[in-house]
Amino acid sequence: MAHDSFKNNDMITNYGALRALVVDDYPGMRSAMKMTLSNFGITRIDLLTHATEVLTKLQNHSYDLILCDFNLGDGQDGQQLLEELRHRELISMETVFVMVTAESGYEKVMATAELGPDDYLVKPFSTESMRNRLDALLLRKRTFAQVYRHLEHNEMEAALSSCDEIIKSKPRFLVDALRFKGEALNAIGRFSEAEGLYRKVMEMRAIPWARLGLARTLFGQKKEDEAALILRDIIDKSPEVVAAYDLLAEVLLSRQDRVGAQWALEQGVSVSAKTVRRQQRLGELALENGDLAKAREAYGNVINKGRHSIFISPNDYGHLCRAQIGQGDLNSALDTLRQGKPILQTSPQGQLVDTVVRSMVHGKTGNAAELEKALNEAVQLIQAGARSDETFMLDYAHTCMTHGRHEQADAIIREIARNAHDSEPLLNKIKQIYQRAGRAEAGEQVVNEATSAVRKLNNEAVILAHKGDFAAAVEKLQSACWEAPYNARILMNAVWAMLKHLEHNGMSHEVLEEARKHLTDAQKLSPAHPRLPSLRGQMRDVETRYGLRSRVNG
Amino acid sequence: MENADLYAALMHEMKNNLGLLAITIDHVPLTGESPHDHVVDNARLLCQRVVDRLHQSLLLYKAGRQKLTPAVDAYSPGELVDELRATAKSLARERLRVDMHVAENTPDIWFFDRALVEMALINAIHNSLEYAQSHICIHVGMENDDTLVMAVQDDSPGFPEHILRSFTDRQPYRSTGTGLGLQFARLIAEAHENRGKTGNLRLGNDDGAVFSLLLP
Repeated sequence: MAHDSFKNNDMITNYGALRALVVDDYPGMRSAMKMTLSNFGITRIDLLTHATEVLTKLQNHSYDLILCDFNLGDGQDGQQLLEELRHRELISMETVFVMVTAESGYEKVMATAELGPDDYLVKPFSTESMRNRLDALLLRKRTFAQVYRHLEHNEMEAALSSCDEIIKSKPRFLVDALRFKGEALNAIGRFSEAEGLYRKVMEMRAIPWARLGLARTLFGQKKEDEAALILRDIIDKSPEVVAAYDLLAEVLLSRQDRVGAQWALEQGVSVSAKTVRRQQRLGELALENGDLAKAREAYGNVINKGRHSIFISPNDYGHLCRAQIGQGDLNSALDTLRQGKPILQTSPQGQLVDTVVRSMVHGKTGNAAELEKALNEAVQLIQAGARSDETFMLDYAHTCMTHGRHEQADAIIREIARNAHDSEPLLNKIKQIYQRAGRAEAGEQVVNEATSAVRKLNNEAVILAHKGDFAAAVEKLQSACWEAPYNARILMNAVWAMLKHLEHNGMSHEVLEEARKHLTDAQKLSPAHPRLPSLRGQMRDVETRYGLRSRVNG
Repeated sequence: MENADLYAALMHEMKNNLGLLAITIDHVPLTGESPHDHVVDNARLLCQRVVDRLHQSLLLYKAGRQKLTPAVDAYSPGELVDELRATAKSLARERLRVDMHVAENTPDIWFFDRALVEMALINAIHNSLEYAQSHICIHVGMENDDTLVMAVQDDSPGFPEHILRSFTDRQPYRSTGTGLGLQFARLIAEAHENRGKTGNLRLGNDDGAVFSLLLP
């Protein structure tokens, strides 16, 4: 059976219909790429030089194909740009994104990246190999178009059945479809099905992503030991699979093994030091473990290597300062604030971090005037609505308390406690702060007062919902949200009750609007919370049921 | 600038320029007059060869003293062979005929490191393009139900005896050219493992040179 070509008709790409973008800081390369793409038949080709231009352009343009150089001169590199594009959802899953690179180590960067490209081309490459690569990528995108669309609309059931179609009819894409399906099953918590799927893939070949997926399903089924065993083996055999270190850290953390988790992240960082979020998690854990030197190193890396990353925040500067203050290196902490000025001064949150750190430093230097100034600035910022993450708010409360500003401290503690009424570790930290200030009893009282109202409303609502009285449950939870507007758990409970109410008692646009708002707030507070996907699904079901959303055809 | 930084910057520029050179030569139009076209074709082939060698040396540099670790995933052998055919055809222009043969028993997907396998086969294709008289053929099929065989065959006089011997004896081949590429291809084949079986490179002569990559 000799073929002239392996391709049949539906495998051939119509290049004339494509829109392409080339990003390269080197003019010679830009025009060479343009010439090559025009030879393939593409007529609509845009050329850009820097990451910032791409971010602006993609706000109101979309492309079928983006060829982006890894090295873009000053500012973001291609990988940081891609991470920002994906994170801000400026490119769809249907867009082919190819990283062009002369870095021989790029495979390593890509393997360890948070959000990777569809493929990469290592310079120099020939016109034919580029054409072949694009043919294959575009065919894959067409094959999975329906799956992408469902995933982007969070229609998991539909995405699963689209995967099944491909599994049945396109043996060439069987393994890719299984991979998508496994990820979707894990995302909606159907772990035992996912387990079966990954074991099936491993019967074909024990490829690292299948083993990683299996470990994830086992962790999802609370089989932590089995998951950890597989992860350690992946790390041993394929040390470049950094996602394994991250998952192992998560598994160990769930077992309260903070030291083991820190070790796992340190190993991951030693394979790739560039990933901002891994360094942040390492820094956070090291701070909790009291390993100040490691924390300082990790946050130092975040700031130096992630300067242009979308994942960096004012808090990173603050955490670096906390490690430095912990080591007694007050001058370095002040240097860090100076270095971070461009980021810290542009948002109220950053300004608050800046003032809290200054108050901590001057609490130690004994410069009473500077301390007063910093604390007064913090009060003003907080009154104007600025908030930062709980660690800094607790630091702030602690500093206030050590310097006799009890009312200020109690007020912020009340707010933190209300918004985290069910978080034992946080409430314990609060109690410790009061103990150290010799106000243990007062602390007990502040926390109880702050949390009892929210806790009571929430418990009553749960009982009402169980009885099927969703209208009353919604009312209780609305009051709880009013009390604790930053409490992700309460917000999610409210969304759940509201959607149940709409399901059982008919449509109310007012309630739906409230539910949408709470869901958005909860997502902002706790973007990775495991309950969110199912709430989003429930929301869509209600919207579809009342004709507020049309089913995507498929 | 530290020496290491300067080295990295020089490498970077070299790779950029070599890439541009490859694209530039791709765009030199053919005149239909053999002396001109022949020179352009040779320049193209030579440029591709340098590009491939650069990739190989970078790969080895990266692996350092460790074994190559392939990034194995599922790929379509038919698709890969088709891509290689297109590449070979365009490098050969009209000088040689390039065929492909996908055996009935070829699986829809097989597990290997595509980038590495492609590199090994491109090497073989370059050799065949240089020595073949009129045509080359790229095969894919299964052997013993558990091994994928991808082969490049040509109608050249075949591998010379001394190359076959030094290859079998695993003697380091000291001359330039062919020997290096073959050693590299063997490294890639042997980096692939499955259920206790290791990949292999088989060289032979059968009305021309036959280069076969065996992937378990």
